[in-house]
Parts: sequence; C-alpha cells; structure tokens
Amino acid sequence: MSEKGFRAATSAPAIFVLVCIGAGSVLGSYPQYALAMSLVAMVIGVALIVLVGLARCISLASGSIMAIGAYTSTLLMVHFDVQYAVSIALAMVAGAAAGWLIALPGTRFRGHNLAMVTLVFQSVCIILLREAKTITGGAEGIHVPAVGIFGWRIDTDGDFLLVIGLVSALIILCLTVLIRGPFGKNLQAVASNEVAAEAYGIGIPDYLAAAFVISSIAIALAGALAAPRIRILDPDSFGVLSSIFMLAYPIVGGMHSVWGGILGGGGLRSLPEVLRPVADYQELFFASLVILVVMFFPGGLVELVRRTSALVVRGRGQRDRKSAAAAYPPDVMIFAAPHAQSSEPLLCVEGVDKHFGALHAVDAASLEVPIGGIHGLIGPNGAGKTSLFNIISGFLAADAGKIAFAGDSLLKLRPRDRIRFGITRTFQHVAVFGQLSCLDNVVIGLGRNQVLNSMRESLDRFLSGRRTAVMRRQALAALAAVGLADDADLTAATLSLGNQRLLEIARAMVSEPKLILLDEPASGISEQEGEHLLKLLLRINSERNIAMLVIEHNIPFIAKLCRTMSVMGAGRIVAQGRPADVISLPVVRRLYFGEEIEHALQR
Amino acid sequence: MLAELGLVLIAGLKFGSIYALAALGLVVVHKATKTVNFAHGAFAMLGAFATFLIVVHWQWRYWTAYLVIPLLIGAVAALLEFVVLRPLRRADLFTVVVATIFLGIALAEAFRLTYNTELLAVPGLFAGQPFFVGGIFITREALWVITGTLATALACIVVFRHGKIGRGMRAMASNVTGAQLCGYSIDRVYMLAWFLGGALAGLAGVFIAPIAGVSVELSIAIITAGFVAGVIGGFDSLTGAILGGLLLGVAESLAAAYVSSAMKNCISFLLLFIVLMWRPQGLFPERTGRRV
Amino acid sequence: MLAAYFPRRLKPMAPALFALGLVSLAGSPAGAQERGITASEILIGAIGALTGPVAFIGTPGRDGMTMGFNEINERGGVCGRKLRLQFEHASTPAESVAAVKKLVEQDKVFVLVLASGSTGAAAAADYVRAAGVPTYNLYGSTPIIREPFSKNVFHGAIVPVEVSARGLISMFYDDGYAPKKIGILAGTYAFPQATLKAVEEVLKEKKTERAVEQFDQAARDFTSQLVALSRQNVDSILVLGSFSEAGFAIKQAREMGLAVGRWVLDGSAVSRAIIPILGNADGIRGYFNVPYFPGQTPSVREFEARLKSYLGSMPQGRPNNYDMIAYGAAYVIALAAQAAGCELTRDKLLNAWSNLKDAGPAKLGGLDVSFPESYTPSDHQGNYRLGAAIVKGGEWQVYRIIERP
Repeated sequence: MSEKGFRAATSAPAIFVLVCIGAGSVLGSYPQYALAMSLVAMVIGVALIVLVGLARCISLASGSIMAIGAYTSTLLMVHFDVQYAVSIALAMVAGAAAGWLIALPGTRFRGHNLAMVTLVFQSVCIILLREAKTITGGAEGIHVPAVGIFGWRIDTDGDFLLVIGLVSALIILCLTVLIRGPFGKNLQAVASNEVAAEAYGIGIPDYLAAAFVISSIAIALAGALAAPRIRILDPDSFGVLSSIFMLAYPIVGGMHSVWGGILGGGGLRSLPEVLRPVADYQELFFASLVILVVMFFPGGLVELVRRTSALVVRGRGQRDRKSAAAAYPPDVMIFAAPHAQSSEPLLCVEGVDKHFGALHAVDAASLEVPIGGIHGLIGPNGAGKTSLFNIISGFLAADAGKIAFAGDSLLKLRPRDRIRFGITRTFQHVAVFGQLSCLDNVVIGLGRNQVLNSMRESLDRFLSGRRTAVMRRQALAALAAVGLADDADLTAATLSLGNQRLLEIARAMVSEPKLILLDEPASGISEQEGEHLLKLLLRINSERNIAMLVIEHNIPFIAKLCRTMSVMGAGRIVAQGRPADVISLPVVRRLYFGEEIEHALQR
Repeated sequence: MLAELGLVLIAGLKFGSIYALAALGLVVVHKATKTVNFAHGAFAMLGAFATFLIVVHWQWRYWTAYLVIPLLIGAVAALLEFVVLRPLRRADLFTVVVATIFLGIALAEAFRLTYNTELLAVPGLFAGQPFFVGGIFITREALWVITGTLATALACIVVFRHGKIGRGMRAMASNVTGAQLCGYSIDRVYMLAWFLGGALAGLAGVFIAPIAGVSVELSIAIITAGFVAGVIGGFDSLTGAILGGLLLGVAESLAAAYVSSAMKNCISFLLLFIVLMWRPQGLFPERTGRRV
Repeated sequence: MLAAYFPRRLKPMAPALFALGLVSLAGSPAGAQERGITASEILIGAIGALTGPVAFIGTPGRDGMTMGFNEINERGGVCGRKLRLQFEHASTPAESVAAVKKLVEQDKVFVLVLASGSTGAAAAADYVRAAGVPTYNLYGSTPIIREPFSKNVFHGAIVPVEVSARGLISMFYDDGYAPKKIGILAGTYAFPQATLKAVEEVLKEKKTERAVEQFDQAARDFTSQLVALSRQNVDSILVLGSFSEAGFAIKQAREMGLAVGRWVLDGSAVSRAIIPILGNADGIRGYFNVPYFPGQTPSVREFEARLKSYLGSMPQGRPNNYDMIAYGAAYVIALAAQAAGCELTRDKLLNAWSNLKDAGPAKLGGLDVSFPESYTPSDHQGNYRLGAAIVKGGEWQVYRIIERP
C-alpha cells in the first residue's frame, strides 16, 4: 500500500475516536459518561494488543498498572497540589517504571511462568496500596479531587468526554504508529521465532521490555484519565479480576490489529451498561461471550467483520498480490563481474572446542572461508557440524579457540550483533516469521533492528515514509532475486516449504552481508527446486561477492556448490580441500560408509 | 511457644494438603495435554457444593460423597474438555489458557445464580473430641484431611507412574504424533487426563467443604493456591506438586503468625517470586535432563 | 397485583429490554413538572450489589424495599401516587457512579437510595452532593460517605462507625463481665477497617488493653491470627468481618482450645447463617441494626412469612438485618413524601425529611421491624440505636437496646 494510504490507515483508529467525541456531543450526560469510559477502555485495549497480541505475553498485571496510574495522579493532586495535566504525565512515568520493573525479571520467562511473575506484581502492588493507609486511604478509598487544565475546570460530562477523547486519540495514534511500523513487526517476529529474531538483530529481552513499558505507559494513562470519573479510588477495584477482564479486550476484539483493541475494549466496557436489565447475569454473559468468541472466532470481532465484508466485496485478493510489486519497483540488479576468488580468509576458525558434559562435541576444529568463497561442511549425523555452526553464529559459546571475522573476534559477540558485522544465516528447520508478510520478513533481514531504532523508523514511516520506501524497495529486489516478487504480500506461513527456504535466503542476503551461514538449505526440497537453489546461490555469490559457509547432507548438491569443503567426524575436522579430492579420500568414505564397505569399495 | 508452633504447622499442613491435591490435579492435566486448566478451582467449588447437597440437603451417608463426587466432577470435566477444549486443540496455548480462565468464571457464576448465598456450611466427617498430642489439640478433621489427601495424592502418583493410563499420558505429552502412531488415541488420553484432573479437584472440594464452607470465593482461592503451589514445586512434577502445596500452606501459616497477618498473601507471592528467580524449574522438579 | 418488582419480571423480557437498553443509551426525553414525579407515581432509584462478595447486602436491599413499596402502594400510595423502585446493580465505585448517573440523569429519579457497600456508596455520595438529588444512604457506615455534610444526603438505620464502635465495646461489659485484654480480628477490606479505626479510638479512650490481627476478605484459616492473639494473652475477642469469616474464626479457636471469655461480632456477622458453621453458637454476642431478630416478636415473624411468600423460597441466612432496614427505609421515604404534601417538589421533600420524627413502618400500617428514624436540619443521621444481641438456644435474640451514646 502506498505511503499516503498507510498514513490514512494508521490514523484511522485515532480519527475514529475523534468521531466518537463528535457523536457523543449530541448525547445526554449519562451516555457521554459511558462513552468516555469506553474510550478509556479502548486505550487499554490497544495497549494490550502490543503486549498480549503482538508480543504474546500473558499479563495479569493490567489492573495494578491502571491503579498505579490512577493513584499516582490522584495522590500528586491531593498531597502535592500538582496540576492535573502534569499529574497525568507523571502517572505515565510511573507506568513506565512499573512496566520496566515487571520486565526486569519477567523477560526471562515465557508462557505461564511469565503470567506468574505478572501475578506477583499485581498482588503485591494491590496489597501495598491497601496497607499504606496514611498515604492512599487504604481499603476505604481516597477521594479524587476536582480537576482542571490550567485554570479551566473540567465539570460536565461533555467536557470530560472532550478531554478524555482527545488524549485517548493521541495515545492511540502513537500506539498505532508503533504497532503498524517496524517496531510492531519486530515484536511479532519475536513472538514468531525467537532464534531467527535474535539472528537478525532483534534483541528479545529489549523488545519484551519495550512491550511492557509501552503498554504500561498507556494503561497507566488510562487509569489517570478514568480516576476523576470514578471519584473514589480503592485497591479492590483494580484486583486480579479486573486484570482478567481486561485480558478479554484483545481476545474478543482480535489479537493482531489495533481495531481489535478498539472493538474489544470499547465493546466489552460498554457491555455492563447495555446489560443493565439483566445485571444478575452480566458476568456469566461476559464469560460465555469470551469462550464463544475464542472457540468459534479465533480472530475475534475484527475477524468476524473481515469475513462478513469479504463476503460482500470479493475479488480484491488478486489485486493485492500485485500491489506490492507495483508500489515498489525493484532496484535494478547490479550485474557485477564475477570476482576472482581471493585467497584472503574472511572467516577464520581456529582450534574451537566444545564439551557437553562428557561429550566432546567439537574437537579443535579449524576452517577458513575466503572472501567471496563458498565453503562446505559435511559429515555424518552427530559429527558436531550443527554445534560448530551454532558457535560460529553465536548461539553457543565455545570452550576454547578463536573465531576471527575480517580481523575482529566473534567470540564475545551476541548473536544479534552479527548482522552488523555482515554475517547472516538460514536455519535447518525453516525459521521464517510466519505471521508477517514475505516483504516484512525480508525487511527485517536488513538489520538495524534495535528497539529505539525501530521506533524511530515507525515514526518515519508514518510521517514521510522515505526511508521506509528505500528499505522496502531493497527488500523487493531481494525477493525478486530469489523469484518470490509476486508473493511479497503473502503471509510467510502460507508458502510452501521450498518457497520458505527461498524466503530465508532473500532475508539473509538483503543486507548485502559479507558471509551467509546456510544450515542444510537443500533439505526437504525436490530435485528441481534443488537445481534452482544451486543456481541461485552461485549467482548470489558471484554477483554480490557474498561468501557462504554451508552445512549439507546432499553430497552432489554441495559438491557442485562449494569450492572448498571440510569434513567433520566425531567432532574433529578429518579432511579439508576441494570437493572432488575430499570425497574420494578413504578416511571420508570410512566415515560415511563404515569400515567394511570401504574395504569392499577398495577392492 | 512450641505448642503454638505446632498449631500453626498443623493448620498449614491442613490447608497445604488441600493445595497439594489441587496442584496435583493441575499438573496431571498439564503433563498430558500441555495446558493449564484455570477452571480447576471452579471444579473444586462444584465438588464442595455437591458435598453440601449430598451431606446436608439430601442427607445421604457421608462416605458416599468421597466416592460419588470425584466420579461426578471428573465426568463434568471430561464433558467440558469434549465440548469446549477439543475445538481449541489446534489453537495456541494462549487461547486455551484464556478459554479455561473464563470457563472457570462462567462455572462459578452459574453456581452463584442457582444458589445465591454467601456461604453454605458443611459438617465434617468425623465429629468428636480433638486429640491432645504434645500439648496441642489436633482435630479429627485436620488429621483426616491431611492423611486422606496425601494418601490420595500418593495413590495418584503410583497410578500415573506405573499404570497404563499414566504411560499413555506421558507418551502423549512427549510427542503427540509418535504416541498416536503407537496406538494411543489423543481424544481418549486428553479426556482421561481431564477426567482425572476433575476427579482430583472434586475430591479436593469434598475435603475442603467442612473446613472452608461452600462459596464462590472457593474457586478463586483454589486455583490461585494450586497454581502457585504447582510452580513452586515444579510444574511437571507430581511429587513437586504435593511438596509445593504443603510448603505453600505451611509458609502462609507461619508468615501470618510470626510476620504479619495482613501481609499473608504478600508473603506467599514473594515466596513464589523467589522460587521463580532462583530455581525456575521448581524446587522439586522431576527431570534433570536438559531441554534442547 | 405486585406493583413493580423489576428484576424478577425482567428475566423473561430480557431480549426486549436489551434493545430498549440500547435505545435508552441515546438519551430519553422523559420529563415531568418535577423530575421523577408524575400524577400517578414517584420514581425512586437505588443502587446495590446483586452479585459478588457483598451481594448479601444489595439483594436484601432490593427485596426489602420492594416489599415495603408494594405494601404502601396497595394501601393507595402517597397522595395517590404509587412508589416505583428502579434498582441498578453496582458495587465498585466505577459501577456506582455509572449507575447513579443513569438513575439521576437519564431515568430522572426523584429520590436515590444507596444500598451498596462502603466504597460504592462513597463514590455515589460524592456525585450526589453536586447533583442535589435527595439521597438516602442505607448501609454505608464509613466516614468518607458522611463527610462533608450535605443537606440532600440522609443516613438511615446503619449508624456511623463511631457509634457502632462504642456499642461493640459496651457489649464486652454487659452482664457483669470485664475483659482484661481485647483481641481484635479485623478484615483488611473497607468496612471492617473503618470500624477498626473507630474501635481503637474508643479503646484508647477507655485505656483498655488490646491486640489486633488482620485477615484478608473471604479468609478461612484463622489459626495463625488466633495463635498470635493468644500469644498476646487476650481473653476476649472482637471480630470485624462477615458471618463466614467470624464463624470459622470461632470454630477454629474452639478447636485450638483457646480460652475466650467473650466473643463480640460486628453487625454484618450477626446472621442465622453463622449457627450451622458452629453447631452450638450460644453465648456469642453482636449488634443488630434493628430492634428485633427474626423470630423474636410477632411482627418480625410476620415479616419473615411475608418475605418468604414474596421470594418463593428463603435463601440461607435471610431475612438478615439488611432486609428489615430496607423495608423500614421504604416507609421512611413514604413518610417524608407524605409530610411534604401533595404538591411534591424536591425542596419540600428535603425540608420535610429534615424534620421527620420517629418515622417507622407502623405509622403507615406496616410491620414494626426497624428502628424509627428522626432527623433535624443539621443532623441527617436518622438512627443512633443498636440492638445488642446474643445467641440463646440456637437463635439470635436482641437482649438490650443500646441507646444513643
């Protein structure tokens, strides 16, 4: 979609909130009150899309974060006479601190252990609020004073709707910019495949912490906005049950889109008002609704809307497929003259050793990959190839030895830093980011994926889109190079395995690295696809002077691909040299076929 | 002084053994299906309610509660697995967790709507004078709860480790496809796991009914305690669940008596936090093999 | 026949009302010469918890008031106008503000009744002080509801915590008993904490020795707290909590062999439902917010019979004092409206209410089950009395009326 279209689509949720304010101006005061509270819930919903929908973190701490925002704002006003507007800003700071505090231990865990950490925070927070009676009023509650913005008293429900609506629209806009931009994509990558994310510069703990901090800022803001409307703050209102009900917002709304947060938050928050006549059954209704949505509409209300509108408007699918290619004409491919193979080593592995307890997995392994060269690594199962590979790519620490890359040592480097040095990799079990489009997958391959950087890129994408356009053009060129240009907008998970492997290669090469590590690139694909892959890799190598280190079991494939090869057996490098030479060595045959067959072949 | 400590410990063991039974049910379901059933507390509440009906309302013999209710609640759990969880089998972990959370809420609400009362009192199985041992009074009720729940828990472990049922569940947990290829039916194993988990929850309800009464709050209390106990013990370990439950009960009791009664819950959660940070695999994990 | 029991009739009409609810969100143009009053009816709004841990307050609030209004309407109403009750569920502050706004701004009720727990009532009271609607706080006893004084807010049968605290302590000295050290078991939630503060003030004044232990709402294990209290050598215990909490505390204290000379319970624990938990509850004391316990006099027996036929079946622990207070409250409202004259306006009602003396059901032909209420323009607390009750022969009985201190 074009950049102007992107800007419009990203502003749409915030504009929707503004429309709600407009519509609300003609309503009575009670409906205005209910609407304002729904807008606050929309903010929470969108915040939870970031944390729960994109980053896939089960958080039971939303209630306590909201309490922190509400209490911070109120206590500052009561005890220190702070202006409401300032107190809201400070409430957001408190929220950020709380999010960071949860993330400190939290990012170590996933799944239900993470939920436990958030539960600890939630419970301890509420207990502390309750016990600090002199400051917070304790269980009986504290009265929220009348508020105003620098002189103008906010009195009527209409006034509150305006203020709450404007602030909500602003924060929802900020969140949407982040969610739809590179930050959101990277966050989804983290949830999709952590190993691949790390390999391309996306630091997992950093992104999870960012998700917690950002969502907490928004939720704390929501608490501060709601406080004057609630009039009395008490700890019990923000207990675990409220966290659980807020968790329902992204689930019922739809977990992967901003609209999900808006529909889920706004809809579920206004449910009690609508269900007044049957208030006894309210909670049963709520719980049953969530269960039904989860069972029959896993995509939530957003999915429901999409499906009904898809029935109405057909045939848009085809047009979208070509749209990406049309929007970003690929860079003209540069056909450089094939480089002469340099004899200087690019990657120098020396004496690397690795023990797993008693098992000597890698035994003083040494190999070299020259600049622009293609080096193979073969050996039977259990020989230690993958271990050595993981050591080179940073996912495993070596016990001893040296790894030098263009003069720099790789040993102390984290996996996510390798891309800056010009090293990328593919994976044995294909590791594309299934939820993202092929184009987004490759854009991640460009690197520069630190948290602050991706936030900056998200803002840039919204405002001018120039840098984004450049990046997307490069990505499309890489896709075109592997033959997937037409599939740019398709979700990566829908591709066939062979195409997913090509996608991985596009992702690995788009950043113009100096070295690509390929882990069994030909496994699981047909012979025809293998031929295509071979030509592709050779072309990439010759046109862009990208060196490659390849693990493979498919001997004919790798023999045609590589210029030099190492053979590993029982952790040691047993042979090294040109493929033709190495394969005929008796020691290599013995390794693969065993003693007797070796003898038989000799005769 | 020591007498006091004894009382506090007994109370801790009494509630701790209920937590242990609750945690055990959670861990059994998790071992087989890789999902945490957050409706587990609601099952225990239903078990307690059924105890009220059997003992107080219909006035059957008390021991029938111990036999009938686990089977009944197990059947309810298996039915819910079939109706609600089976369609979600392909869904991801998160969706299932959320579904069970709200399932528990729905069950608790349904109970409240049928019998809207703050608390239903249920008499204990053994009435009679408490025993005076070592300077403290130990009620027959406390003794029965502790020994009864622990005996059940140990029986459960034996069945799981050596019985055919257990083998199927462990195989399914290791590798679904492999187990299916070996002839285990995923439907049957999952349903059986939920049946067993539900039965354990129902039994926990029968034991807890006299010492805590039947109320909606029971469902939240049991799932929170059971889950925390399970994590402390080590979530895939059956013995861990039992030891974790006992440890949690005793720690809570000691904290309320010697530190601060208002901060009782706070201290349990801090204990959980310490365990998560120091030994995230739990205090008594089953396997020490590394995960690849 | 039964004029308006809204929630019960609503259940089969749920779908239609759902749609109506949606439409009503757009704002209703209902209006009259005075909001909430038409020629034929007076609209009275109420909020209270129908679900959740304090439903034992809100549900009886609704039932008792409805019964009272039904009886009054059967006898012709007030000045020919029937009294109609519109009850909204609310328990937390957020829910309470929303419900009150709906009742006041949309349904335009004439009188607002707060039948919710402490924090909800406090939030609602905060709102009505600005709105000026005549408001009747039935059950809230915490200071935050009563301050600052407002000429449109009236407090009914339930006394402020300062008064109930004195009543509670006085019961430790009834019948010649003199405690040496009083142990207090207090819930950490709103209502017991407010009472605890007031009780500690009273004990400080009387220079009585005390020890305090706390428990979380819905706690069931009190062994640790009882051990701690015993370590501090208390000989009598005051329990500030609900009947389920108090019941298990007393049960466990007995099982431990703890020697407790006297148990005194806060009003919310004085209920029939505590007896099955203990088996034998004789000797336990507590205060009751109405002069007689159910079963104690012919009129309360009649009340119980009427409530049972009205509800169909009697839920456990009912009728409790909240039923009876609400019934009495219906009559107080009717008496105030009557005293204000047939040309009914808000100001006339406020004026009449502020000068009401000894208002009780008997004055309009109802059953005498609650304390009569009296107001002055500067004191809007209608009742200062408590009934000191004790369990005798398996039944609660009020044995003394604790007059205004």
